[in-house]
Amino acid sequence: MKKSLVTLLAISMCAVLLAGCGAPKETASAPAADTTTDAAPAADTASDDSTTESTSGSAAISDGVLTVGTNAEFPPFEYVGDDGQPDGFDMALIKAIGEKMGVEVKIENMEFASLVSSIGNKIDVAIAGMTVTDERKEVVDFSDSYYDAVQFVIVPADSSIAAAEDLVGKTIGVQLGTTGDFLAQDIEGSTVSSYNKAVDAVNDLLNGRSDLVIVDKNPALVFAGMYPDDVVALDGAQFGFEVENYAIAMPKGDAELADAINNAIKELKADGTFDKLVAEYIEGSN
Amino acid sequence: MQSWFIHVGEMFQRAFIKEDRWKLYLSGLGVTLKVAFFAAILGVILGTVAALMKLSVKKNGKPSVRSIIATIYIDIIRGTPSVVQLLIMWFIIMKNCRNGVLVAVLSFGINSGAYVAEIIRAGILAVDHGQTEAGRSLGLSQAQTMMYIVIPQAIKNVLPPIGNEFIVLLKETAIVGYVSLSDLTRVANQVSSRTYEAFMPLIGAAVIYFVIIKILSILLGRLERRLRKSDRR
Repeated sequence: MKKSLVTLLAISMCAVLLAGCGAPKETASAPAADTTTDAAPAADTASDDSTTESTSGSAAISDGVLTVGTNAEFPPFEYVGDDGQPDGFDMALIKAIGEKMGVEVKIENMEFASLVSSIGNKIDVAIAGMTVTDERKEVVDFSDSYYDAVQFVIVPADSSIAAAEDLVGKTIGVQLGTTGDFLAQDIEGSTVSSYNKAVDAVNDLLNGRSDLVIVDKNPALVFAGMYPDDVVALDGAQFGFEVENYAIAMPKGDAELADAINNAIKELKADGTFDKLVAEYIEGSN
Repeated sequence: MQSWFIHVGEMFQRAFIKEDRWKLYLSGLGVTLKVAFFAAILGVILGTVAALMKLSVKKNGKPSVRSIIATIYIDIIRGTPSVVQLLIMWFIIMKNCRNGVLVAVLSFGINSGAYVAEIIRAGILAVDHGQTEAGRSLGLSQAQTMMYIVIPQAIKNVLPPIGNEFIVLLKETAIVGYVSLSDLTRVANQVSSRTYEAFMPLIGAAVIYFVIIKILSILLGRLERRLRKSDRR
């Protein structure tokens, strides 16, 4: 009798677990089927603030909430603000986009390396100073690019590293899964130390564990600004690194969502909001 | 169904075969085993010393200075998460050490030592006090009694929980990715950060961990049986 009670309890707990995880998926997949038959252009209706009707086109935002993944370790694009919430240029931009689309924006702070694989299941879109690459394009779609950047090299102040050939055989600190990580792996004879946070890579550069750190331009300038006597940030152009485009990553094939986001970016650029955010967050930080 | 198999095959291909990624897993496993092995040795040494220190008493029956030191060590280590200990070791105590494996071995060894100390202390206390009395009345010194009478019996007592501690230790090394060491878990993360698929690398890492630990527990079981051979005659 007692045994069967325990079994029943165990089974019911499993059932609760499954139901708890399964529910949101169901609601998400139901409207997805609608999109094929009824291709209501979400972008047109999105600009008037009616949250209930405006977003019927895309499965990702059918519930009026746009869940956005980011990695708040990337100043000035995203960082944890004084109130403990993710803040920065990307956060302000996606909130402005959400306002234009008439949806509520919910931010999820997670590891950068798991952002792309979380799109479509844990998050709807990702904005994290993410560079458009061919590898990523195979898995997700990108919005129009909203910012151009290049990888920078941070070296100790007394380092002699100055050109591409100086990078050969060095120990390179990077943040896991970033374009700096990919660049470093392609450098001949390099030992790549990957960290969850770019600032940890900079810390270990200061500790003498690595010879250089490869990270995007703006965070590099922020980090170099924190330790002006110990490190210098060098422009990646002198190492032959190419210019990269930041964009918002979103589920593959969701044209309605892509249109809605791209239109919102266009509107923000047209009405001057975008430039205001650049001035406030990016130029203000350098 | 067939397309599902092809899909899984492609994922496998991307996660293990493409660009010789299986070599990454091997080197990651190497780091995991290296850290776990040396940390286990350090843990047993530290644990034995700490256990004996904690068991020592003054003539008047009050705890000795040695025993207080051992108690503080065990308290601090058991009272803080091993990730925090590892980060403190990496970024503060040994911040200029370039040998990452060494830092991890020290951190995990010191951590494991606290748990091993309690296991060994329990094993020693489980040996009947009559054994000590018999040894002492036969003219052996306190140290000799400990060495030749109590400890050999204690070893048999502690083997199952020590084996358990080794298994926990091996799995706990999965956190060294925090400090940029490329162990098995970190390698799986690195691969999934390239392929954007978490499934294969994580399942692969899980299978490898399981196999290693299965082998370890079979070996420990054999050793245990071996030591019990003389129990019932």
